[in-house]
Amino acid sequence: MKNLLVLSLGAVLLAPAALPQDAQKPQDAQKVTIPFRNPSQPKKLVVDTMRGSVTVRGYEGQEAIVETSSRNPGREPRRAAEVPAGMHRIGSSTAGVDITEDNNTVKVSGGFFGGPADLVIQVPVQTSVSVKTMTGSAVTIENISGEIEANNMNGQVNITNVSGSVVAHSMNGKVVVSLNSVMPDKAMSFSTMNGDVDVTLPADIKANVKMKTDHGDMFTDFDIKVDSTGQPPRVEDNRGRGGRYRVRFDRGTTGSINGGGPEIQFTTFNGNILIHKK
Amino acid sequence: MLVNTKDNAVMAEVSAGQVARLALLFERHHRALFRYFVSMHGDREQAEDLVQEVFVRMLRYRTSYDPAQSFTAWMYQIARNSAVDHVRKRGAVRVVDIDTFAERRAELVSASPGPEESASHGQNLALLRRAMDQLPEDKREILVLSRFQGMKHEDIAEVLGCEVGTVKVRIYRAIRALEQIYFALEKEKVS
Amino acid sequence: MTCEQARLQMLGETEGQDLAAHMASCEACRNELSRIGAMWQSLDLLPLEEPAGQVRQRFYEMLGAYRQGLSSAEPRKTYRWWQLAAAAALLAIGLGIGYGMRGNGQVPAEVSQLREEVASMRQLVALSLMQQQSASERLRGVSWAYQAEPSDREVLEALLTAVNHDTNVNVRLAAVDALRRFSASPETRRAVVEALPSQTTPLVQVALIDLLVDFKEREAAGALKTLAANRDVNDGVRQQARWALEKLQ
Repeated sequence: MKNLLVLSLGAVLLAPAALPQDAQKPQDAQKVTIPFRNPSQPKKLVVDTMRGSVTVRGYEGQEAIVETSSRNPGREPRRAAEVPAGMHRIGSSTAGVDITEDNNTVKVSGGFFGGPADLVIQVPVQTSVSVKTMTGSAVTIENISGEIEANNMNGQVNITNVSGSVVAHSMNGKVVVSLNSVMPDKAMSFSTMNGDVDVTLPADIKANVKMKTDHGDMFTDFDIKVDSTGQPPRVEDNRGRGGRYRVRFDRGTTGSINGGGPEIQFTTFNGNILIHKK
Repeated sequence: MLVNTKDNAVMAEVSAGQVARLALLFERHHRALFRYFVSMHGDREQAEDLVQEVFVRMLRYRTSYDPAQSFTAWMYQIARNSAVDHVRKRGAVRVVDIDTFAERRAELVSASPGPEESASHGQNLALLRRAMDQLPEDKREILVLSRFQGMKHEDIAEVLGCEVGTVKVRIYRAIRALEQIYFALEKEKVS
Repeated sequence: MTCEQARLQMLGETEGQDLAAHMASCEACRNELSRIGAMWQSLDLLPLEEPAGQVRQRFYEMLGAYRQGLSSAEPRKTYRWWQLAAAAALLAIGLGIGYGMRGNGQVPAEVSQLREEVASMRQLVALSLMQQQSASERLRGVSWAYQAEPSDREVLEALLTAVNHDTNVNVRLAAVDALRRFSASPETRRAVVEALPSQTTPLVQVALIDLLVDFKEREAAGALKTLAANRDVNDGVRQQARWALEKLQ
């Protein structure tokens, strides 16, 4: 038996355009598989939804798998409009999520009509991911290696077990990020108006940091060399009393970690900044 | 500041004298160019040299750029010419023992995540890489351009100086050749 | 469709309505597809190579030298070896071997003539990066902009564009901060005051307000009052505006 990586005919072996999309029956009305035009080239996932939570997970495959669950399945479906060329519609019309693939970028957008659509999307681990949601709940991104951008209007942003670079923002919600490793030479930024910025970085990261919170405190267990223009940090060592070792900085502070490197910004208005060493 | 940032528009500006704009094209394309050279010749250092050479030539020949032409096609034409000249100058492609190279690639490949098939999966990819390297250069190139660089057939036709129809045939022949080499290598391993 | 045609279609990019039909009826082609298709597919699994950092530096050095050659009406200057070395070192420091050069670095007098060269290089890097698709690259561009000469109008323009139009909140935030470099110019200050009413993201509004306070920009009072009184504006921002008004008295 040939020890080849055999793939079934059902999967798309050809360049996507070769098989008309209608010929590929989705296994389940709520779940669709979308191939990238050229998986050996850099891939991107872009998500833009109005409502509903968004979860993106890296997995050991080559395609994007989108699952949606509408929270209001009982709603009357809107008239089934004609599907524009090159697009899928998945889920009931209430979910109204549209998916397109263009030049190695899979775009998922929707939740504009009907109830919120909770999206769970799986993509190859090595994919760049950009998620934007308006009145969604949480944005969760896990197990991805690539450039990650997340923007949530109302809700938490949780980005964990990732490597690469992260730029994340929430209007109202915590921003929790944990990076296993970082791409060299990449700048990053984490910000929220109301909530903590809680970031874990590899211990050997080289970076210049800029931290600002208007009404909160900043804590870290990294050794941050503060720029001379700023105030020296205050050290609170409560370890003897079973507490933690904290270094507290002034409102707006710049400094460097491990000799300096690309810039990482931490910004919050009402909340604390926590920078953990991995 | 609404600027048309399509490749050929930017290159047209460079051609007209706004030389600095080349930096934009550099940021966009140097990684893909690097991958092209590495896929073709396996040598990272040489690939870096060649990337530099491509941009030097883009500057030198900027006035001859025709904005009606696909920028990608023009860039890869320059890339190919640079590689050929580089080889000519150095006397031969830097000789990298094919087996050592394949081993190094195998390490690279088995270290990265892959589908959860058998444990010998890493080996399969190493074999695949070896098969690629043993392909005649023109066949390897067409696979690199179509599969790795994701170039459109029209652009490939322009780069290679052939008909669009020929491109399809060549891709097909290249992948068949790859398949044959792969299976030959596999048999070798087993025996 | 003949088998011949089908095989050509298999790996192509053309629409294959007939292909599906042919496949359904032709076992030979199905097998063929399965075999070469698998090979085609597995090519994807080879990992992507990434270039090392040197590539960038070399490019920018070359470009700079080329521009220099273009702009100098005089015959090409021949620099002494230590001048070239120092310039290369300055560039290297800027381009990635050591960051954290905010403001003026130590420039030996002998290479001050090359400083213009380095400054123009920084401008180049900043402007190119700020036009990239990825937010992370644009962020880098902004941090490069922070190292530009305070008199550099092109960079200032690019930063103001970023503050007002960049699609990413974090980039806008970073751009506001980078404007500190240009605080001396009245044009900057005016632009920051003007940016305030059109910005709707609370964090960026706060950043602009903080900047105006740091600039000690009394001209901002009018805009701040309007902001503080506007009920549609985020409470935190209104609070900040009130605080700023006090500080600017």
